[in-house]
Amino acid sequence: MQAVETTTTLKSVTSSRLVRTLVAGSFAALLAGCATDAPQDTWQPKGSNARMINDLDWVVFSIAGVVGVVVFSVLALALWKYRDRGQPIPEQTHGKPALEIGLTILPALILVGIAIPTVGTIMDLAETNDTECIVNVTGQQWWWEIDYPVQDGCGGIEEPIVTSGQMVIEAGTKVLVRGTSRDVIHSWWIPSLNGKRDMVPGRIHTVRLEADEPGIFAGQCTEFCGLSHANMRMEVIAMNSTDFAIWKANQVQDYVAPVAGSLAAEGESTFISQCSRCHQVDGLTDSNDELIISRPDQNVWSGAAPNLTNFMTRNTFAGASWDLLSKECRPGVWDASPSTIGAAYLDGVTDSCLNEVELREWLRNAPAKKPMYADPESLEATDGLVRGMPYLALSEDQIDQLVAYLLERK
Amino acid sequence: MAIIERPTEIPDTANRGVRPAPKASTNYGYLRRPVETTGWRSWAFTVDHKKIGIMYGAVAMFFFILGGLEAALIRLQLAGPDGTILSADKYNQMFTMHATTMVFLFVMPMAAAFANYFIPLQIGARDVAFPRLNALSLWVFVFGGVFLNTSWFLGGGADGGWFMYAPNSSVPFSPTNGVDFWGLGLQITGIASLVGAINLIVTVLNMRAPGMSMMKMPIFTWMAFVVQMLLLFAIPVITVALFLLMFQRSFGAQFFSVEAGADPLLWQHLFWIFGHPEVYILVLPSFGIISEVLPVFSKKPLFGYPFVVFSGAAIGFVGWGVWAHHMFASGLGPVSVAVFSVATMAIAVPTGVKIINWTLTLWGGKLTFTTAMLFAVGLIVQFTIGGLSGVTHAVAPSDTQQTDTYYIVAHFHYVIFGGAVLGLFSGFYYWWPKVFGKLLSESLGKWNFWLMIAGMNLTFGPMHIIGLQGQPRRMYRWTEFRAGEGFFNLGFWNLVATIGTFVLGVGILLFLVNIWITHRPNSKTPPAPADPWDARSLEWITSSPPKEYNFARTPQVSQLDEFFHRKYEDVGEGDKHEYVQKMTGEEVIQFEEDNADPNIHLPAPSYWPMVLAFALPVMAYGVIYNTLLIVAGAAIATMAMFGWALEPADAEASDFDPPVEGDEMSKELANV
Repeated sequence: MQAVETTTTLKSVTSSRLVRTLVAGSFAALLAGCATDAPQDTWQPKGSNARMINDLDWVVFSIAGVVGVVVFSVLALALWKYRDRGQPIPEQTHGKPALEIGLTILPALILVGIAIPTVGTIMDLAETNDTECIVNVTGQQWWWEIDYPVQDGCGGIEEPIVTSGQMVIEAGTKVLVRGTSRDVIHSWWIPSLNGKRDMVPGRIHTVRLEADEPGIFAGQCTEFCGLSHANMRMEVIAMNSTDFAIWKANQVQDYVAPVAGSLAAEGESTFISQCSRCHQVDGLTDSNDELIISRPDQNVWSGAAPNLTNFMTRNTFAGASWDLLSKECRPGVWDASPSTIGAAYLDGVTDSCLNEVELREWLRNAPAKKPMYADPESLEATDGLVRGMPYLALSEDQIDQLVAYLLERK
Repeated sequence: MAIIERPTEIPDTANRGVRPAPKASTNYGYLRRPVETTGWRSWAFTVDHKKIGIMYGAVAMFFFILGGLEAALIRLQLAGPDGTILSADKYNQMFTMHATTMVFLFVMPMAAAFANYFIPLQIGARDVAFPRLNALSLWVFVFGGVFLNTSWFLGGGADGGWFMYAPNSSVPFSPTNGVDFWGLGLQITGIASLVGAINLIVTVLNMRAPGMSMMKMPIFTWMAFVVQMLLLFAIPVITVALFLLMFQRSFGAQFFSVEAGADPLLWQHLFWIFGHPEVYILVLPSFGIISEVLPVFSKKPLFGYPFVVFSGAAIGFVGWGVWAHHMFASGLGPVSVAVFSVATMAIAVPTGVKIINWTLTLWGGKLTFTTAMLFAVGLIVQFTIGGLSGVTHAVAPSDTQQTDTYYIVAHFHYVIFGGAVLGLFSGFYYWWPKVFGKLLSESLGKWNFWLMIAGMNLTFGPMHIIGLQGQPRRMYRWTEFRAGEGFFNLGFWNLVATIGTFVLGVGILLFLVNIWITHRPNSKTPPAPADPWDARSLEWITSSPPKEYNFARTPQVSQLDEFFHRKYEDVGEGDKHEYVQKMTGEEVIQFEEDNADPNIHLPAPSYWPMVLAFALPVMAYGVIYNTLLIVAGAAIATMAMFGWALEPADAEASDFDPPVEGDEMSKELANV
C-alpha cells in the first residue's frame, strides 16, 4: 500500500495545476468544439474515474504533441536546409556517440515522466475499498443483463433487481460493476464514466463507475462479440437519491395483471404462449395459478433472454439499440437537465410516447432488424440453439395485443 | 553449402561470347530435373532466389490489391449511417479477411520478397543457403494464401476479427468453415515463414562475402535478419495457438470451452505473444529499406549505424515483453497492467532512436528527392505520428478509453501503412532498376507518392477523431443518434475517411500504371543505367538485373558502404574531407567482371518443393471436409520428401539435351 501511495503523490505532482494550465490553452478551442459532440466522446468525463483518465490524457497528449512538433520541425528544417544545391559530398561519418547517447537518454527521460503518473493512475483505478454499491452485469450475444444483488449498499437492496440494457445508479455513489459473460467475451464501456473492461465467461472482472450528476451516459460493447456486435449497447442512468429510491421500489413491486377483457389481457395470454419460454415476467402465472418461470436454456445458446417485468421503465430495447421512446418524446428525457432527468426517466414509456413503429418491426421479425443466429434449422452446429430472438410469425393481431401488454410492464 | 554445380551461361570472361546453356532434355524420367532456362518451367521449378523473390512480390501484390478491395468495401459500408452495402455477416468477414490478407499475405511475403532477393546480393552470395527450401517457402505461401481465400467460395470467410478471440472462434459462435480455413491457412503460411526464416538466418550467418563482418553488413540485411529471428520464435507460438484452435473446432477438443473449465484469456496470451513481435516483423524490413534509401539520397552514411543495428536488435528483444499491452482492458489486474504499460514505453526508446538517426542522416546531407526518397521521408513522418499515438496507448488508463475504437485503428494503420507499406514502396522505386533493369517513371512516381500520402492521411487521420468520439471498431453500422453534431461529428469524418480510401486507391493504381508504362510491349523506357542512384551497397556491384549467378566474382568487402568507397576517394587532409570520384559504378562492375571467378556453382532446379507445398492444402481441406483427403495429402507429402531426399545433388547429364558432361563444363570454365 505504501508504494501505491508514493506513486499517487508523484502522480498528483505531475498532473498538477501548472501542467493543466499550460495545456489548457492549446486545448480550449478543442474542448469548446466538443460541446455538442457524440455521446460516447472519450474526452468529456462525467465522473471521477473517467476524470482520472482524462487528467492523464491531457499530460500524455500534450507531451506527444510537443514531441511531434519538435521532430517534424527538425525534419522539415533538415529537408529544406540540406536539399541538393550543388554542395560537395558531405563527410562520410557514422555519427557522434556522445550525441547518440544523449538522444537515447532524452526520450527515455520523457517516457519516465509519463510512466510515473501512469502507474499511479492504474493503481488508483483498481482501488475497490471505497465501493458504495455493487451491480452485476452479464454480457450475452447481444445485450447486457444487469442485476442488483441484495446488499446494504446502493442505499439498501432487499430484493434482487434484474433488468437489462440500462443500469440505474445514484449520482455521486461509487459503484463497483462486477461483470461476466454467458457466451463470448464482451466489453463494458461507458466512456464518460470509465474506460472499458472485458467481461469474460468464467471470470468476474470489476470496473468502477461514479457519475458526478444525474444524467444518461451512453456506452457500447467494444470487444467484437459476433454477428450483431454493432447492436450491443447500454446506458447508465444516474439519478438523485430520492429518484433512485423510487426506481428501486418500482422494480420490485408486485405483478399487476391486465384488466380482464382488455387488449392487454389478450396480450398476456399471447405473451405466455409465445414469449414466456425465454422472457421472464416476474409474478406472471398460468391458468393453474402456477408461477411461470422462463426456461431459456432449452432454446437459447447463452441461456437467458431479457427480463421484461419492468420493460417500459427502460427507454431502449433489443440491446439498447433502438429507442422505446418516440422521436418526439426522446429529447424530453435524454436532453433533460440533471435536476429533472430522474423524474423524466421515471415516467417511463407512456402510451403516447411509445416508439411503436420500431417495436412492432421487432415483434414482426426480430432477426430482420438485428442480425442474429435465430433460424433453428440452419443451426446444426449448436444443436438448434438460437442466439438472439427468432422469427415468431406473429399475426398483426397478436402484435397489437403484445404491444398493449408490454405497455403495462412498468 | 548447399550450392550444387550445374551448367549455366558462362560469363563473358574471355571476350568470346556467352556460351548458351544446354537445353533441357525432353525425356521425362521420374527424377529428371526441370532444368529449363526459359518458359514457365524456369519459374515454377526455379531455386534462384531472385526469381523466387520476384514471384513472392507478384503474389503479395495480388493479395495487396485483394485486401485493398476488401478495405474499400468496409469504408463504403461505413460512409454513412446504417450502411447497407454489406450484411452484418459479410462485413464481419470483410474486416477479418482484410486484416488477415494485409498482414499475412501482403506485408509479410512482400518483406520476404525483398529479403529473398536482396539478402544474398547484399552479402555477396550466389544464392541462399538452402535453395530448394527457399522454393518450398514460396509455394507453401502461395498455396496457403490461395487455400485461405477459397473460403470465400466455400461458405464465407472467417468472421472473428484477425485476432480471432476465443471462445467466439468456436463452432457454436462461428458455425461456418471460415475460421477453419483461417486457422489452417495460417498454419500453412506459417510453415512458409518458418522455413524462410531458418534459410535466411543460415544464409546471413554463413554466406557473407569475405571481409563482411556483421557490423559491415548492409542495414537492410541486418533488419531483415532481426525479422527472421523474430519469425523463428514467433511463428511457433501462433502455430501452437492455431493447432489448439484446429483441435477445438475439428476434433472436439475443449481448449477454449469455458463450460469445460477453459480460460479464454489463454488464446489472447498466445496470440499476442506472437502478435506483438509480429508488428516488428511487419515494420522492421521497411525500416531496413529506408535505412538504405536515406543514405543514398543524402550522399551520407547512415547516422549512427551501430545504434540503428542495436536498436533494431533491442526492438527484437524487448518486443517479446510487451504483448499484454493488447490486453489492458482484458482484466489482467493492476500490477500486470502497470508492468506492461512501462515495458511498452521502454520499447518506444529504441524506436525513437531510429527516427532520430534517420533525421540526423538527412542533416548535413546533400538531398535529392527521388520517389524512393519521398517514400522514405514519408515513412519517417507517418510512422512518427503512429509512434506518438502509440505512446498514448502505452498509458494503460488512456488505452482503456481508446482500445477497440477507431483511434487504435488509426494508430495501427499509421504504423503499418505509414511504417511498413510506405517503406515497401520506397523499396519498389529504389530497387526496381536493379530487379527489372528499367527505371519506373519518376514523374508518375511522384503522383503515386503524393496521392498515397494524401489518401492515407484522409483515410486514417479522421479515424483518430472518430475513435476519440467513441466509435468502436468492427461495427457493421453506426447510428445517427450517437454521431453527435459538432465539428467532430461521426458522420462527416466517416465520409472523409471513405473518400480518402479512394484517393489512396488511385495512388496505388498509379503504381500499377507506372509498371505497365515501363514494361508494356513497345515501351519507350530505356534500360536503366547500372548505378542510377549512385548507390552505396554490394547489390549494385553487378549488372541489373543481376545474372543468375549474381556476381561474376565474389566481392571482397573492406568497408560498410563498400560500393561507395570503391567509387569515391577522400582526398581531403586532416578534418577536411573532399570526395572525388575515382571510378564510376559501371567501371567498378566492369572491373569485377573482368576478374570473374573461374568456377561458378549454382543450385539445380527441382519439382519437389512445389509438390510438397501442394500436399499441405490437400491435408487442410481434409481436416475440414474428409479425413481421407488428409491421408492423400500426407501420401503426397511423403512422396515429395523422399523424392527431395533422393534427388541427386547435381543435375545429371541425362537431364539435358544433348546430354552434358558436368566435368566438361567445369573444365571449360577452368580454362577461361
